[in-house]
Amino acid sequence: MRKFVFNLRLFFESARLSYIALFRWLRPGTYAASKIIMPLADIMFFTFIGIYANGVEAAPFYVIGNAMHLAAINGIYGVTMSVGGDRWEGTLPYLFGVPGSRLFTFLGRAFFHLLDGSLNVIIGLLLGWLIWQLDFSQANLLLLGAAIATATIATCGMGLALGALGLVTVNIMFINNLFFFLLLIFAGANVPIEQFPNWMQTISQFIPLTRSIAAARLIINGAHLADVQSMLLVELLIGAAYALLGFIIFRTFEYQARLRGTLEAI
Amino acid sequence: MNALVISDLRRVYRAHTGVIKRKVKEVVAVDGISFEVGEGELFGMLGPNGAGKTTTVKMLTTLLIPTGGRASVLGYDIVKDESKVREHIGFIFGGERGLYWRLSGYDNLRYFASLYRVDPAVSKTRIPYLLDLVGLSGRGDEKVEGYSRGMKQRLHVARTLLHNPDVLFLDEPTIGLDPVGARELRQVVRNLQAENKTILLTTHYMFEADALCDRIAVIDKGKIVALDTPAGLKKHVQDLSVIEIEVFGLRSEALEKIRTESYVDTVSLENRDQRQALMIHSPRGAEAVPDIMAQLDGHRVGRVSVREPTLEDAYIRLVGGTHE
Repeated sequence: MRKFVFNLRLFFESARLSYIALFRWLRPGTYAASKIIMPLADIMFFTFIGIYANGVEAAPFYVIGNAMHLAAINGIYGVTMSVGGDRWEGTLPYLFGVPGSRLFTFLGRAFFHLLDGSLNVIIGLLLGWLIWQLDFSQANLLLLGAAIATATIATCGMGLALGALGLVTVNIMFINNLFFFLLLIFAGANVPIEQFPNWMQTISQFIPLTRSIAAARLIINGAHLADVQSMLLVELLIGAAYALLGFIIFRTFEYQARLRGTLEAI
Repeated sequence: MNALVISDLRRVYRAHTGVIKRKVKEVVAVDGISFEVGEGELFGMLGPNGAGKTTTVKMLTTLLIPTGGRASVLGYDIVKDESKVREHIGFIFGGERGLYWRLSGYDNLRYFASLYRVDPAVSKTRIPYLLDLVGLSGRGDEKVEGYSRGMKQRLHVARTLLHNPDVLFLDEPTIGLDPVGARELRQVVRNLQAENKTILLTTHYMFEADALCDRIAVIDKGKIVALDTPAGLKKHVQDLSVIEIEVFGLRSEALEKIRTESYVDTVSLENRDQRQALMIHSPRGAEAVPDIMAQLDGHRVGRVSVREPTLEDAYIRLVGGTHE
């Protein structure tokens, strides 16, 4: 029990401090601007292209898809930097030389990004409501919250895997960009998945956001829990699978670094 | 009981070269060293760059798996009982890295306290105590990126004491510090010694090892070439005197000629801007000076002095005076 309490504390300390270590340099004004301007630019870009191609009635499709995709800013970039940042700070030997639980330390790195990523999506949807009058009158807002949480959990799971990969490779920003845009394309944020060729549809089934974006569109159109629960559950499992993969990479890296003496190799 | 027992410890690094015809190159960093360190002892490891000091510390702190031999810390095997070892040790590697620069000093300690499973109630009182111990009280709320190098080093010391470990590994803790910062850190080490901590200290600085250590192992090319008290190590050179000659533009053939003289034990050369400091260990002492000056005929020579040997001279004799 005592060990569990220590691990829980480690989880929250790891969450809070790794988040501050990453974002403390931002002044509140800069941080707030990044929370408004970046989502706004992202959503406006894709929604106006969508309206130009398919008419104004298609706006909700693009607003919802791109607002949900904003979860990937924290899920991919934020979590990756929180996990892989130890390599650049030179703190890895000190992190690996302590008795604290690796699992709680590792998972803790993603926690505040879950909250921050959810906030990204909410801001994106609010911008959609303000600019394109996105209609929430049919939506079960609690269920929509669950879909948003699912999207951020799943993208953070992928971020943990990429972050662990960041301990092994120096090209992590390239990999981050690649996966951020892969999600944008393959998760169906801007193109209905049914219009993809088969091989693309197959990839879509194994990545975060595909199901939560689809679920969010259904919920805003009035769907109930029974209509979307299996989608959200599968997406949570996909996120958990990525997180597990990340932890395996993390532990493998630790063991290999001790075996081969590559702990500080960058 | 011995705090550290190291038996025939060995570490070989394997490096791969080439793309198509890949070759494996093996580098022996630590070559079968054995020694023991008693509880409460301050044990020093001296050696040139690449001698194997840091590799030894990494193995003893469980960050590197040995390729041969065994070692235990407080009876716990460094490979089989790694978690137990980690609970009882603290360690510092020299340099500024290894802290979260965007966090305050206080938050760095708070985070590591949770990693070391320190009770929150204990860490609330221990963190201010440690900040005070290392002379950072009043600066704990500032971000580490604004700290001087010396402050970062002292924060490292505070970090490593959070869980009150029994054994400390300090790998070149004063490297890069200004004289005042280094002296303050040495005082912290003395205070820890007074608290009966077992300390393994690696350093390049002879006077530091001489002033602090109970015993010193001199390590070169992965092997221990001498292990004794500072006074015992100095006995290695008590039959010698040290002749120091300031010379300008010393030619290599002259240096080699001096090196082969029968009355010369070891020769080392240190470049100091335009001039060079030639240091010769000789049993003949001042009597050898005229012969050496004859070898330096044609060179511009500055100050010449003859003195009693120090620990540094013992070290130079032991590692052969080949590391310039």
